[in-house]
Order: sequence, then structure tokens, then C-alpha cells
Amino acid sequence: MRLFEDEVTLGKGLNDFTAKNKKNLGLVSLDAPLISNLDVWVNIALIKQYHENLSADKAQELVLRYLTRYSLEDISNKRNPALTNRERFCAMLLRAAMVRDSIVVIDRPFTIIPDVQDDRFIYDALKAVDDSFKECHIFDYLWSKDRYRIIDV
Amino acid sequence: MINAIVRIGTTTINVTRTFRDTLSFAFTIILKMFNKNSYNSATRLVIIHQIYFTSIQILPLFIVISIIFGTLLMGIVFQIIKNLGLAEHLGRILMNLVVTELAPFVTVLLIALRSSSAINAEIAVMKVSKELNTLDKFNIDAVDYLFLPRVINGVISVVLLSAFFSILVLTSGLLFSKLLFGLSLESYSNVLLSSANFYDIVISLVKCCTFGFFITLIPIRFGLHATNDLTSIPISVLNGMVDVFIAIVFIEVLSLILIFI
Repeated sequence: MRLFEDEVTLGKGLNDFTAKNKKNLGLVSLDAPLISNLDVWVNIALIKQYHENLSADKAQELVLRYLTRYSLEDISNKRNPALTNRERFCAMLLRAAMVRDSIVVIDRPFTIIPDVQDDRFIYDALKAVDDSFKECHIFDYLWSKDRYRIIDV
Repeated sequence: MINAIVRIGTTTINVTRTFRDTLSFAFTIILKMFNKNSYNSATRLVIIHQIYFTSIQILPLFIVISIIFGTLLMGIVFQIIKNLGLAEHLGRILMNLVVTELAPFVTVLLIALRSSSAINAEIAVMKVSKELNTLDKFNIDAVDYLFLPRVINGVISVVLLSAFFSILVLTSGLLFSKLLFGLSLESYSNVLLSSANFYDIVISLVKCCTFGFFITLIPIRFGLHATNDLTSIPISVLNGMVDVFIAIVFIEVLSLILIFI
């Protein structure tokens, strides 16, 4: 968890971190949205297809297995605009987890899921796929610490 | 006076710069095209989807236009050939007119109207909505994943649809050859086959490939010119489509000059 005082320091911290881990970066951020003219499964499978040349059939099978962990199989053929905030967050997280030896970076998660009150949903989502990434770092503002149930920083 | 000269100079510099940038981008795409590392499961899937959108979805419209336009044109051409007493040159005229000139031109116009504008808007929207940024963040080369499949699709689609147009129009010519010259199917086929020239087919093929390459490359380049504002999308499509039509005319004129030489 990395909390920053303002947008400038957060932006700098995030840029430095992502630049250092560019090769294994799995970014979950509104600055890296799902591609809107692709189905959810293609968005997620794209990483394995492109970097590991995994066939479309096998990649789709893999994605469906992961979506089942969230009970979200039915969104596999939906597109970004048709998703709810939570579905979108899970799809973005799965896409990030598809990167080999992924270092997942979640940039201001509550901007993606503004309707979520605290971090329990985020941790549950991470726990469901924790076998597929190496590290996870959450970047957010200091004033959001209550939503992470942090008493002191 | 000085202002006019400055304006001419600025326009010339801008046109030259656009021309140079287009050629430089074309060179990048050609290099990628012949690099086997550019192809993977993801790019192959995009190529298949693009060919479906460009060549298959357009088929009903394309067949109707080819039959209506081709039949009417064949009727007029056959009538003129008969009136001028050029029946012995029938095969040569048809091959030159339909295969080398008409088929690539009509095909490229239809594909440019439908697919080039779509590609231009698609890339511009992706730029504005930061989806190109997504590819960069996940170390996916946009040239490999987005641009190359679209350009390859352009080349394949124009070649295939142009050949299909030629077949449809030459088949409709059978009707008029029977009505006006009393030719049988066998005689008509023989006339066409004996007039088929390898050089004409090569020219037609090269022309189709060049058309297909540039009517997809130019919209991509202009799509990338979009800024972060939504209002830049229509401007990018407008400028891109104007340049596509300039490119079509330029390639057509260049091919005519080559044929005359």
C-alpha cells in the first residue's frame, strides 16, 4: 500500500514505480482502460496471446476458468461499456494478473469502483487470483486511508 | 504579396512533411510485415476479424453494386464496340477496361468509403479514450497488434474483391456477347482467355496491393493525430478521408502513366 498526499506526488511515485517494473507490470487503472471494441475475454486473453502466443481457444478457456472464480462467466462476451464498476474492476485485475510474473499495480482503486465503501471487495478480488501474480501494490491518496481501514500511517 | 508567398511556402512544407511522414510510416509497416516476430495468436485473430469485417460483411452490397453497375457498363461497352466495328478487339478491351482499370477502382472506392473511415474513427477513438495507452502499459506494440493486421487486411481485401468484381462483370458480359455478337459461352471464354495478358494481371495485382495498403495506412496515421479531445475525432476522420481520396487518385494516375510508358 502506498499512500500519497496529492496528485502530483502520487503521479510521480506511480510513474517511477511503473517505469522500474515495466516488463512485468500488470496495471489496474482508469488510465489503462479495457479496450471497448473487444469482448471482456479477448481483453484478458490478449496478454497471453500476444506475449506467450497462446492459441485463442486455450486463452479463452483460461480466462473463463479465472472468471469462474469471481462467478462472472456471463460477462466474458460483454464489452467494457456494458460492465458494472465491480465487473470492470475484476476484468482489469484479471488482465493484469495474466502478465507473466505479474507485479500488479492498482492505481486509485476507488476511482474504478466508486460505489464500494471499503477495501474488503479489493482484497477479496485479489485473494481469488493470488496464485497468478507475484506482488501487488496499491497506490492511492492519503485521505483515502479510512476506506482501507488504516488507523495510522 | 509576401503573405501569399509565405502561404504557398507553408502549404508546400506541410504537404511535403505529410508525404514524408506517410512514406516513413509505410516503411515501418512494410518492415514489420516481413518480420515474423510481428505475428502471434493475437495478431492472427485481429487479421481474421478484420478480413471478415471488410471482405465478408460487405459482400451483399458489393455483389448488388457489381451486378447492376457491371451489367449496365458492359451493355454500353459492347454497344460501342459493335458500333465502331471493333469486335476483333473485344477481349483486349474487356481485359484492359475491367480487370486493369475498373475492378481495382470500384473496389477501392467501396472499401475506402466503408472501412477506411471506420478504421480512422476507431483509431482516433482509441487514442482519445486512452486505449492506445493500455497497449503501451501492457508492452503490446500497437503497430503489431492494431496497425499491421488492418493494413494486411486492406491489401488482401482489395485484391480478393477486385478479382471477384472482375469475375462478376465479365460473367455479365456473357449476356451481351450473346445478344449483340451471337457468341457462345465457349467462344466468349476463348476470346477472354486469349486476350489475358500476364503483364495486365501483374499491373492489376500491384495496383490493388498499393490501393489496399494506402487506404488503410492513411486512416491509421490520421487516427493517431487525434488529440485528447472528443472533437478531434471528426476532424481526424475528415482529414484522413480527404487524404485517402488524394492517394487513390495519385495511385490511379501513376498506374496509368506506367501503363502508357
